Amino acid sequence: MTTTSSADIAIAATGISKRFGGALAVDDVSLRIAPGEIHSIVGENGAGKSTLMRVMAGIIESDSGSVEVFGTPVDPGTRAAIDAGIALVHQELSLVPEMTVAENILLGAFPTRFGFTRYKDLKEIAANALAEIGVSVDLDERVSRLSVALRQFVEIARAVARQPKVLILDEPTATLTPAETDYLLRMLSRLAEGGMAIAYISHRIPEVFEISSNVTILRDGRQVLTAPIADLTPQEVIDNMVGRELKEDLQTHRDATPGEVVLRATDIEAPRVNSVSLEVRAGEIVGLGGLVGAGRSELVRAIIGADNRTAGRVTLTRNGRSVTLSSYTSAVRNGVGYVPEERRTDGLALIMTVSDNIRLPNRQQLSRFGIKAPRKIAEFAQELADKVGLRPPEIEREAGQYSGGNQQKVVLAKWLGRRPDFMVLDEPTRGVDVGAKAEIHRLVKEMADNGTAVLVVSSDLPELLELSDVIHVMRDGRITGSLTREDATEQSVMTLAAGEAEAVA
Amino acid sequence: MAQQTAPSAAEATTQSESSRLAGTLTWMSQNGIFIFTAILILFALIFVDGFGSLMNITDVFHRAAPIGIVAVGMTFVVISGNYLDLSVVAQVATAGVILIAVSNNYGIFPAILAALAAAMLFALVNGTAVGIFKANAVIVTLATTFIGLGLLRFFSGGSIFFGPPDGPIRTFGLGKIGPIPYSAIVLIIMTIVLGLLLNRTNFGFLVRSFGVNESATRLGGTNTALVIIGAFLVTAVAAMIAGFVLAAFSNTAVSNDGVGYEFRALAAIIVGGTSVFGGRGSVYRTFLGVIFVSVLTNILVLSGISFGYQQVALGVLIVLAVSLDALARKVAQR
Repeated sequence: MTTTSSADIAIAATGISKRFGGALAVDDVSLRIAPGEIHSIVGENGAGKSTLMRVMAGIIESDSGSVEVFGTPVDPGTRAAIDAGIALVHQELSLVPEMTVAENILLGAFPTRFGFTRYKDLKEIAANALAEIGVSVDLDERVSRLSVALRQFVEIARAVARQPKVLILDEPTATLTPAETDYLLRMLSRLAEGGMAIAYISHRIPEVFEISSNVTILRDGRQVLTAPIADLTPQEVIDNMVGRELKEDLQTHRDATPGEVVLRATDIEAPRVNSVSLEVRAGEIVGLGGLVGAGRSELVRAIIGADNRTAGRVTLTRNGRSVTLSSYTSAVRNGVGYVPEERRTDGLALIMTVSDNIRLPNRQQLSRFGIKAPRKIAEFAQELADKVGLRPPEIEREAGQYSGGNQQKVVLAKWLGRRPDFMVLDEPTRGVDVGAKAEIHRLVKEMADNGTAVLVVSSDLPELLELSDVIHVMRDGRITGSLTREDATEQSVMTLAAGEAEAVA
Repeated sequence: MAQQTAPSAAEATTQSESSRLAGTLTWMSQNGIFIFTAILILFALIFVDGFGSLMNITDVFHRAAPIGIVAVGMTFVVISGNYLDLSVVAQVATAGVILIAVSNNYGIFPAILAALAAAMLFALVNGTAVGIFKANAVIVTLATTFIGLGLLRFFSGGSIFFGPPDGPIRTFGLGKIGPIPYSAIVLIIMTIVLGLLLNRTNFGFLVRSFGVNESATRLGGTNTALVIIGAFLVTAVAAMIAGFVLAAFSNTAVSNDGVGYEFRALAAIIVGGTSVFGGRGSVYRTFLGVIFVSVLTNILVLSGISFGYQQVALGVLIVLAVSLDALARKVAQR
């Protein structure tokens, strides 16, 4: 590794350690990326990937170690990192929704003359950056009106506009559909061919194999191994990430014996939803596939009343008794549970304890005449925390202190406590590590086995195929086709989702 | 399984340890009031002439009570993340005028019922605009202050109402147990009752939860509009009681009785460590905030410092407390 001189290496991070209080988040990690190389960094949530990237981008200062760009040491601080040519595309989008695409791309670096913004130059630079990554979007469009995928591309354009030597991307594909992901991966390969060094963080092993030349695996802040991707198999990468051999229980289907129809939604109309009808039976898992923006989240929110619907009728039947759902509160009261797409903003109160979060939808059964029953709450929350495998299972800890996977388990726990008759899960494992993902899948299947009717929205095709008994695929606000478990393949779902032409391209 | 425990546990520790500074700052902004109040009282007892006299203690309580009652009530609106209820100014005055004017003509119980109706009207208008139409609480309550004071001046003709020289209002206004006036006892009872309401009931929990995350609270199956109307109702009922206490103390009422109460109550709440960002706060600490602000004002008065400087001191106090709150929040988010 030391044969090449350091001046030929685009970025060399050497002996990076970062301690947060008592624990080492990053423990003596060294990374070297050559110009034109795509280097993937993989590991479970909390393995230290993001911390390492943030150190390299100057956002946090390491306790020891150094970062060099083409042999020149980089001072701490974001300013110095940007000046040295390091650009970071954040995991969480950091665009200003009310500003235009062009303004966002050059945020913090507006071209000015005498203190006045030069809008002509601004748009020209922004247009060049978009052209460089091959994305076409109206420069004057407000970012709030763009799809999640386009926002992600604008974010990348923003990094590219600064003409960096090193581009760091932290899970850029977490919110993208397979087609969009493909597009992004090709874009990155092109940028690398142009000589950029790219550090790429992802949970998705197939992507890592598709684009990177080298891979670094982190576990518990330590560098488990760095190797050319050609020397490894996907299973070896996963085993090294997890530190144990993950059992291949990923493809085990349940033996579903669906019962009566629990949920019947008829002719649902809402913004981005055009007259959709569907049924979910007791003990059945129905999957909703499609591209981001196909209207799946809008559909499920309209069904349960989380957003208003303009037309349509929803009935919930249990033990032979039917109720028509009119509002979200009535839906919840009548046995509907909802794991929303956005965990941090809609799913959890991050600065409240796990116990309080679990209490929220279960407060009625945990109180008497509106006065809380503390012991009941503690027992109830602890039982659920254990059941979903929260680690560590400390219910008085703030939810925000847990990793993404554990946070998602808390969201599930909230609803498991109500034993819902109808459960909606929107992207239940987005941004969740491999281990937690398997556990969440197990819990969802278990819920269905206990008779709950489950509706799952997922952009993660293997997940959709694994969980669903039936898959409805949506495009442009309509269900374009339905597949039984036997017929469903990644190919068949994608064909319906993208339409024939796009799926071929 | 055992092996998988390790990374998760390590990570959780990492994150909690990294926030040690945030923890210290949060602790300071929330619990500093205990220390500061103790130090201030100790300081006053040693260095300020006349502070420890029975007459002065009664006076401090008398002045603290109505502001304190408004503050413990308004704590609910602040915790719900809606900043404050400016219309307490109008609510205090309305309650006082109704109490004296209506009881002079119709007796005390109709007066109490009329004042309660007025309080509920304030809560309904404020709560509906903020809770259902999602209007900004500061602007809505600024507007309802105008509406309330305007109507009050119209109906009262701007005149001062005097209560009868004896009767239940006068008895209450003059009564005390030792050096502690009845009004302060009302404050203490209100603090305990509202403290229990916030900490022990589902309603209190939802107010806090709404202040932390509105969306998650709604998606947890909550009628959030009712929670917000409830928070404004608690504030309005407290302001009404404060208006009674204030009117009983002087046995008079006039439409500008509550002027400055919104600001002093907010000072007490913020100094008490309730976060203006919502979600974090305590009725009991608001009580301490009231004591702190009242003692501070009293020290300035006893030291012969002019009213102008007292206002400056209060303003500086708020800026410091709010900045500490914001700083703690910022560090915690890092």
